[in-house]
Amino acid sequence: MIDIQNVSKRYGAVYALHDVSLHVEKGTVLGLLGQNGAGKTTLLNILTGYLAPTTGRVLLDGADVLLEPEEARRHLGYLPEQPPLYDEMTVREYLRYAAALRNVEKRSIPGHVDEIMELCGLSHMQHRLLSHLSKGYRQRAGFAQALCGDPEVLVLDEPTVGLDPKQIVEIRSLIQKMGKGRTVIFSSHILTEVQQLCDEVVILHDGKIKTTLSMNDEVDSSQNINVLLTVAAAEGSIVSRVNGLEGVRKVQLQPSRRDGQTTMLITFHQQNEPERRLFALLSGLSIPILHLSREESSLEQLFLKAISE
Amino acid sequence: MRTVFKRELAAYFRTPTGYVFIAIFLGLSGLIFYLGNLRTFSGDLLTFLAQLRLLCMLLCPMLTMRLISEERQKKTDQLLMTSPVSLGSIVLGKYLAAATVMLITILLLNGFSLIIILYGKLYVGEWFVGHLGFVLQSLAFIALDLFMSCFGKNQITGAIAGFAANFFLWLTDLLAGQVSIGWIRDSLNFVSLYARYEPFQLGQLSYASILFFVSFIAVCLVCTFRVLDARRFSEGGAA
Repeated sequence: MIDIQNVSKRYGAVYALHDVSLHVEKGTVLGLLGQNGAGKTTLLNILTGYLAPTTGRVLLDGADVLLEPEEARRHLGYLPEQPPLYDEMTVREYLRYAAALRNVEKRSIPGHVDEIMELCGLSHMQHRLLSHLSKGYRQRAGFAQALCGDPEVLVLDEPTVGLDPKQIVEIRSLIQKMGKGRTVIFSSHILTEVQQLCDEVVILHDGKIKTTLSMNDEVDSSQNINVLLTVAAAEGSIVSRVNGLEGVRKVQLQPSRRDGQTTMLITFHQQNEPERRLFALLSGLSIPILHLSREESSLEQLFLKAISE
Repeated sequence: MRTVFKRELAAYFRTPTGYVFIAIFLGLSGLIFYLGNLRTFSGDLLTFLAQLRLLCMLLCPMLTMRLISEERQKKTDQLLMTSPVSLGSIVLGKYLAAATVMLITILLLNGFSLIIILYGKLYVGEWFVGHLGFVLQSLAFIALDLFMSCFGKNQITGAIAGFAANFFLWLTDLLAGQVSIGWIRDSLNFVSLYARYEPFQLGQLSYASILFFVSFIAVCLVCTFRVLDARRFSEGGAA
């Protein structure tokens, strides 16, 4: 669906992107991960045809975004980092405009816009001016704009940046809902977000692709699993026993909130169901478990490793 | 093209820009009409229209300053430039919207012609030639100022650049009078919008001037297109 071929972008002597190649299959949700300044926005701007690469080319469903822009962009919905909103328009007027730009048939525009507003939770805001919306609703309006014309490819540039936790959850669930049946590329520097939403992850650093990995296989199976455990027992008696469990690589003590409790971060190596093993051990010792959770740090480790190489 | 045109035209009247432009233009025209025609009991429409050139020079950048620079500043150009709409349609849609506001103003300007009809004599041929010249010249200013608004992200920068370009074209007229070298003088006269307007001011229908104004507008629009297209290659991702 998306084919990025040897794309470089140079500003004077500085490369913002250097020989980036990427192929994204139809229906994939791909996360573009990288620090600020890694080249994520530049890559997305080139992918959408807003910027031209210095060398290389981008194909969207076989159409070159620079040579056949109208054909290529027919498949595309783009939410830039700052939603492109015209403050003097109402939500409804704006979405009608976006739908007309995307060649939605004139008579189907009202129904199409109603549907999108319903999906994005904007129906009750439809007559509000965009300048009067809160940041969360502005982001939704930008997202709704990207959905106009029912594009096959959705490109989202840091869609949750600057939002409060509730809005972040809402936008994430919107991405999950909209991602079904579509090819989605979104950039982020929030690891948990990428882990939660993506099928594939590309780590970009200094304008180069460092790693491409599939979330289902590599992250979960090939790496360590960290488990955070708090028990109602003194430190000395429990740490040595946990250390003795099969598959445990490391036990790190963490500060506890109360006396008589022990909190530790336990690293298991390629271990299935570490929680079950811990439960069996602790129930056998009659030690109450106060907290037990898996720390999803495997992507974090991969990310740090990739950018330090 | 129609989609962009309709949005841009509506934007002039959703914000104060369109109303303020029309009000200032008509207000100052009224003052010129009072001083040049009413006080002197003159029915000379052609001289009145010729004097309005100064208003075009000063006010046209106000119409065009937001068309490109505001989109860049607010980054709404990312919506346009990533939609399945050709860049040519975008430029044309924006130009026609500004041109329509100008034409509405000129239509309203005919109130002064009505006063001449009521209290004096107005020749239809004179009215037609005068207005044709004025419309062409105004549309040429708008095309030039649209091109100038491509430079700079700020609306004020766009307006100042437009005003500077208009002022330069006015200076070419004065410079041409000072230059003794024949080909330079001819070149300056050739690009002068004011010299090209002169036949209309005299009541002559000049096909050469019509062709010049139409070509001038086309060149400005093509230049706008080229600058916006080239920007894809030069701009920064986060810029």
